[in-house]
Amino acid sequence: MSVYEVLEKWGIKNYRIIDEQAIEEITLGASILATGGGGDPEIGLLWTLGTIEKGKDIVLINPEDVPDDVMGASVGCLGAPIVLTEKPPSHNVLEKAFKELSRYLGENLEVVIPFECGGVNSTVAYAIAGELGIPVIDVDGMNRAFPELHQTSWVANGSHASPAVSVDDRGNMTIIDTKEDNLRAENIARNAAMAYGGISWKASYPLTGREVKEKSILYSQSIAWEIGKAVSEARQNHRNPIDEIIKKLKETRGVESFKVFNGKIVDINRDFGGEATKGFSSGKIQMEGMGEYKNQIAEIDFQNEWLRLKIDGETLSLPPDLITILDNETGEPIRTDIMKYGYRGSILLIPAQERMRTEKGLEIFGPSYFGYEESYEPVEDIVAKKGR
Amino acid sequence: MKKEVRIGFDVGGTFTDGVIVKGKDILSKTKTLTTEDVTSGIINALDDLLTASKVDPLEVGMVSFGTTHTTNAIIERKNLNKVGIFRIGAPATTAIPPLTGWPNDLKEAIGGNENVFIINGGSEYDGRDIVPLDTEAVQNACKELEGKVDSVAITGVFSPMIPDHENRVAEIVKEVLGDDIHITLSQNISTISLLERENSTILNASVISVMQRSINALKDATKKRGIEASLYVVQNDGSVMSSDYAVDYPIFTVASGPAASVRGAVYLSGITDGVVVDVGGTSTDVGYIVDGFPRESAITVTIGGVKTNIRCPDLLSIALGGGTIIKNSGDKVVGIGPESTGYNLVHLGKSFGGPILTVHDVAVARGGLNKNLDIFTNNFVTHPEKIKELSNDLVMNATKNITEMLEVTIDQMKTTPEDIPALIVGGGATTMPKENVSGTTEVINPDHFEVCGAIGATIAEIGAQAEAVADLEVEDREQAINEVIEMAKNNLEIAGGVKDTAEVIDIEEIPFAYMPGKRQKIRVRVKGKVFN
Repeated sequence: MSVYEVLEKWGIKNYRIIDEQAIEEITLGASILATGGGGDPEIGLLWTLGTIEKGKDIVLINPEDVPDDVMGASVGCLGAPIVLTEKPPSHNVLEKAFKELSRYLGENLEVVIPFECGGVNSTVAYAIAGELGIPVIDVDGMNRAFPELHQTSWVANGSHASPAVSVDDRGNMTIIDTKEDNLRAENIARNAAMAYGGISWKASYPLTGREVKEKSILYSQSIAWEIGKAVSEARQNHRNPIDEIIKKLKETRGVESFKVFNGKIVDINRDFGGEATKGFSSGKIQMEGMGEYKNQIAEIDFQNEWLRLKIDGETLSLPPDLITILDNETGEPIRTDIMKYGYRGSILLIPAQERMRTEKGLEIFGPSYFGYEESYEPVEDIVAKKGR
Repeated sequence: MKKEVRIGFDVGGTFTDGVIVKGKDILSKTKTLTTEDVTSGIINALDDLLTASKVDPLEVGMVSFGTTHTTNAIIERKNLNKVGIFRIGAPATTAIPPLTGWPNDLKEAIGGNENVFIINGGSEYDGRDIVPLDTEAVQNACKELEGKVDSVAITGVFSPMIPDHENRVAEIVKEVLGDDIHITLSQNISTISLLERENSTILNASVISVMQRSINALKDATKKRGIEASLYVVQNDGSVMSSDYAVDYPIFTVASGPAASVRGAVYLSGITDGVVVDVGGTSTDVGYIVDGFPRESAITVTIGGVKTNIRCPDLLSIALGGGTIIKNSGDKVVGIGPESTGYNLVHLGKSFGGPILTVHDVAVARGGLNKNLDIFTNNFVTHPEKIKELSNDLVMNATKNITEMLEVTIDQMKTTPEDIPALIVGGGATTMPKENVSGTTEVINPDHFEVCGAIGATIAEIGAQAEAVADLEVEDREQAINEVIEMAKNNLEIAGGVKDTAEVIDIEEIPFAYMPGKRQKIRVRVKGKVFN
């Protein structure tokens, strides 16, 4: 079946085709929203570009056009990034995971739901949709990146990660069905990845059209796309990319974001040893202010993603609000896995979406989940209070 | 006769520099124009040096050159070998086949997709097979490649740690295609990151003949001039390798120019930790010296439109050189670069009676360019009256901006905030400000800075390295490290060095994050002498 037959069946006339330029802009925007994490998106990008080159159409549709009773699922990888760079996937891993999940559920999965922004996972949704001839919905589960399977707006609003299917390149398969225990699903998925040889490919979060509409971050793909476009246009026209992002978010989404610092990294303190890091890349950086921020000091903690920002000792942003550090000239995000002393950039804070700020949401990715004693306060309130 | 004389060349985009040295003495130096074929430019420089120094050719013990032969061939898609491409990794890796993302013209120049085979096999990080190696498929592929390719590139998943499948495929290729086929194994080219390593391996296989021809031509040329000396090629860490080894690993020369500059600067100044600022006409490369060698880049290096992970010096380039144009409004500086007068500095610059204010002119006004270098045919200033017209404030403002550009670039290369020495070299070195450069302990123009790269090429030192993975839960750490040191020393010998002179430069231990157990990568770099 072609993707256009699916669109016709649902009466969708309004959709967008994702071409090379589009996927490159979405990837750039998503890596900015990844708040320092997500890792290198290269493999997912190459995969998607290959799919487009083969002549497969990739179609992005609006969430409100998806019928309530249609089912979809998200796809992605889970495991060690270093293994992924050395052992890219088989061309059929995601297709297999998707189809096996469909078989286990006894339901047709007719649409791909992007999982997160950043890294390989933000792009493979497009590759697999192109291969399967089904559309991608303009949503995701966080509009940023988080390291663990259960840290999504779907769980934050009462849905579950399982049933899920995890496969490897040889066709080995694990069906994960932990009912409401999302943390256990994450556990099993990670152990399966290790048994496979460090990386697994999964289809998870089977959701109905109605659940997608009620619990996802809506238009997250458009937001990533708009940000990516704004930055690539700023590069061409020699405009400040950070200002362009702020303007774009305000204009098209009514979202107020905040440039709160400009400086350079003067100290990086990484945690070492499995005990301290629990397999994450974690630590703390210090930035020294430049220009109008001269004599100010910013401190940012990270655990794969940037977590908490303090300027001159006062907290300015806590998870799940987004902290991004962007190169002043190129707008390229500075990632926690590749940052170095001397990197220069501006800190831009973007409020997390309301669906991320539920009670359950703060339990699974709020300050206390990362061991902070401070209670969560929305970034826009803190910024207003401190007059920044 | 004692063979104490060494000759070094450094091929740049515009000039080919040469020096002839005896012990610590520089007997003669030259700058000749780089020729399109590169080789004849080197031979011209060689003739200049022999004529000027009047050295007896039999005294010459070493001839070495840093070169752009391979880079040019890849960029121009010229004279490339047709390459048979094996990837060992199916059923994994097939989502992104070999040559994905390559420019089409380059892909065609090396024979294209029809010579690509993805074979079942490869390893997991822990040493298990992904699946057993499909030897029959390798044999069948070889039969298809017969008569169609000049060289073969073999890349196996996790081969830098577990080389067995790559080695086995190489044996089969030789059995079917004969001993004369040239084989590049990815385990010898670079490290983890399959796609970039594969790209690097394929590129290496594509320039074997280019390197072979240039080395044969230079061997001939030296022999005809009565020189009986070994030939060496500068590699990406700034040390040299024997020319025979270079034929197998031509890709290790792509960054030989900037690397040789760093080594030359270290040699000339005696400083082994600091920054090297190599100033040209339109741009400046800043490199960092650690223990006398250029620091390696941690990011991917793009060559001819292809992403690679070949070890190259960590360089930061900025659009600032002697010919860079300064835009001003009265005494205020509005912008510096990125435009440059380039070659036309001697017509367009104010110092030469032209209309355009350049970095060079500001240096003349500052009094920084008072002595001429005999190696350049032009004077630094032919119209001093034009320079006198410049206001003091403008010169000061421009100097301040240029200094700031230098400061920011130097700072970005540092890994800690401490001040460090800066060595300024290259043809445009004298145009840079040397006073009040913050972040530096001192700013030095070493003698002979204008032929720094050629001097770097004459240093008779070879660098080599080796890496392996150890599981510290079952292996003794010290023993594991010693084994890698031994491997590196063997590699040094293969590259043309004297094994007994090997010294360890550094030992890196990189734990595998996100993995259970105590697995880590061990990497050892060594250096040794060319002669005993």
